[in-house]
Amino acid sequence: MSNKYVIKFAKEGYIKYTSHLDMLRLFKRAFKKCGIRLAHSQGFNPHPKMGFAQPLSLGYTSRCELLEFETMESQSTADLKEKLAAMMPMGIEILAAAPLNVSAKSLAGVVDEALYKVVFPVDASSADFDKIVADYLAQDEILAEKRQKKTKKMATVDIRGKIRKIAVGEGERLTLMMNLDCGSISNLSPEQVIASFVKFAELPIDRYDIEVERLEIMFEKKAGIKLQF
Amino acid sequence: MYVNEKLNNLLKRVEKPARYIGGENHIVMKDPADVKARFAFAFPDLYEIGMSYMGLQILYNIMNKKEDVYCERVFAPAPDMAGLMKEEGIPLFTLETKTPVKEMDFFGFTLQYEMSFTSILDMMQQAEVPMLSADRGEDDPIIVCGGPCAYNPEPLADFVDIFLIGDGEESLPKLMERYIEAKEKGLSKREFFELIAGDTGVYIPSFYDVKYAEDGKILAYEKNYEGAPDRVQRYIIDDIEDVPFPEEPLVPLIETVHDRSVIETFRGCTRGCRFCQAGMIYRPVRERSKDKIMDLARKQLASTGHEELSLLSLSTSDYSQFEPLAIELMRECKAQNVSLSLPSLRLDTFSFNVLEEIQGYKKSGLTFAPEAGTQRLRDVINKGITEKDIFDAVEQAIELGWKHIKLYFMIGLPTETDADLDGIADIARRIVEIHKNSGKGGRFNVTVSVSNFVPKAHTPFQWAKQDTTAEFTRKHNYLFEKLKMKGVTFNYHDDSVSTLEAIFARGDRRLSSLLLEANRLGCKLDGWSEHFSLEKWHQAIENAGVDVDFYTTRGREYDEILPWDIIDSAITKKFLLSEMEKATKETVTPDCRYGCRGCGINARTTCKLGGIYEQ
Repeated sequence: MSNKYVIKFAKEGYIKYTSHLDMLRLFKRAFKKCGIRLAHSQGFNPHPKMGFAQPLSLGYTSRCELLEFETMESQSTADLKEKLAAMMPMGIEILAAAPLNVSAKSLAGVVDEALYKVVFPVDASSADFDKIVADYLAQDEILAEKRQKKTKKMATVDIRGKIRKIAVGEGERLTLMMNLDCGSISNLSPEQVIASFVKFAELPIDRYDIEVERLEIMFEKKAGIKLQF
Repeated sequence: MYVNEKLNNLLKRVEKPARYIGGENHIVMKDPADVKARFAFAFPDLYEIGMSYMGLQILYNIMNKKEDVYCERVFAPAPDMAGLMKEEGIPLFTLETKTPVKEMDFFGFTLQYEMSFTSILDMMQQAEVPMLSADRGEDDPIIVCGGPCAYNPEPLADFVDIFLIGDGEESLPKLMERYIEAKEKGLSKREFFELIAGDTGVYIPSFYDVKYAEDGKILAYEKNYEGAPDRVQRYIIDDIEDVPFPEEPLVPLIETVHDRSVIETFRGCTRGCRFCQAGMIYRPVRERSKDKIMDLARKQLASTGHEELSLLSLSTSDYSQFEPLAIELMRECKAQNVSLSLPSLRLDTFSFNVLEEIQGYKKSGLTFAPEAGTQRLRDVINKGITEKDIFDAVEQAIELGWKHIKLYFMIGLPTETDADLDGIADIARRIVEIHKNSGKGGRFNVTVSVSNFVPKAHTPFQWAKQDTTAEFTRKHNYLFEKLKMKGVTFNYHDDSVSTLEAIFARGDRRLSSLLLEANRLGCKLDGWSEHFSLEKWHQAIENAGVDVDFYTTRGREYDEILPWDIIDSAITKKFLLSEMEKATKETVTPDCRYGCRGCGINARTTCKLGGIYEQ
């Protein structure tokens, strides 16, 4: 039996401004400090078997982040949680740890949807946002600007097919709950939805005053993932 | 979790926002209401540079051990962040509590290199603290500076309230105690300065007036406060064994220049290279015991999770117990799966064995610093390395499979001629040849890095002339032609930057007008080629009416009053003078472990290693 585990953690406060690569380094150091030895890949340049189910964009907060990893020795999940929690800087909270007994090669490979909560600096009662959202979604196509990976040029793409659901949430400020495609097969960044929605709704606001929180990461149904936190 | 909304907005718009957030592992959080003195430790450069500086970690640790003191950090914001902060009206703030620096009791800068001076003024401006001491009031923070450039504090004299000269681990906490004492007595700033004026290591520049002669030279330093000392004695810690060293250093969230554990093995150097300021101002050699070093290494690695360990000193191999220490460190690092990095090794057989062990097939380049191209010039500068040393080591290195040799030289040294430049090319050529003759084949590269000589205060070469910018350029072009060889790469420093460094390295108080002009024209982060603007500096020099040659290419008379004479480094002028004289006669002064050379340090403290190898 392999020593695969997953931890769920929160990333809140100023530390949301650290990148996903810096978070990987942080966890790598934390494991070393705890004396937990990670399994490494084979090859000339071995790297530790550890990764996020889905990287979180710089500036987003979350209470549902998942880190999967494989250790050399078997661990008790209670121990894992306690030891790692003691090593975390302000803003990172280890919420749970669980063994990872899944047939899938990795969680990262079977992520297919994520739920985001987006808070706009707009009074929720300043317009009928239920209707605006409905109209926004009723468009035949929703065009958004996206930088092409290869050419680095901006291209216009239709993102409608990747939006699964958008609902207006509770709150004094306009809050949108967005279910979007996420993962390696089809992925949609909340940034594109935010940009196109702000334009559509003609909101006189600055992107930098909008806050995004990830609420949930979901997996392909057929992968049958049940994390036992 | 509380996040300042305005700041939160800005952080989304800048590169590497984590530079400004604090929150690292081992950050010290205190309630400012619980302390009596708040100190903003400022490094006048970007976060990534400042956080790689061990002195910050040392002082942060020591200061925060004091219950009634809170030491927080602040770095120079990158231009994108600085611009937005200005636009949004956010003054410079500390990383720990995001408190505006202007609300602190102290705003302290470490002076590591001359080209950071403009960033100091810029940071004061961003903090909304008046730059000139004379313009600051009772409510403004006290500006305090320390570090190697404080050994010629004069270019900053009009901006800084207190310079702390010497080892800061004791003098800085002491300054805090004095401040709290003064605060409780309700003393004014001026009264506080008077109170501490006689403390060892404390230099209050406003207590002295400088008189100049018509030719621009200094006539006299006149005290305007009787209690100020005639000369400020450098603060010396006799023994560093028990001086607290960080066991739990701050671990940055983002990558910095060096992400590794670092242990200082010793302070000071006995070699006596005549151009080297560090080799003079950190005397005598004071070592930590091997057991202490091992203990600190274990604790730092355990508390940080770092994957690399390095040692800090002016010359790694000169540690008196180097061989047993290296063996023990190698064992420890191997057991912990940590890589060991040993900078500036003297390349003898033992070092090669160590390097072979710690680097194996992942060999980095092998580095030598002959500093000068001929034996004659190496004798002038007292760099005790011979051609035989270099070529024997290179042969051994090539045999062991090294593919890259790095050589460091300085040009513009006193008495240098083109024959000495030819010597640089000759060394490079012969190394390529040694590789060719070794039959090893394959790719092989020699990198020749050339820096420009900048005469420094408190060194034997403090009286020396510097080359003109044009002469540096000519020498670079000359070397460029000479070094057009297969397998040789040639790097060199910016000539005009070296000229500017030299202005400040030996400058006087009148340079405050130049710094103010440079600041007004927007000079900052001048250590970065992408931010450095030669046009602005030329303009500033013109506007301020500074005679560059007066500071750079002019040799000083031996009896001239030098701006930094006010600082007593504990190395006597007599010694520096005799070393300068010996340089002109091409005479070497051997390492003082083989016999005391009379530098004067033992009049102030015990020099434990002086003469230890004397027959």
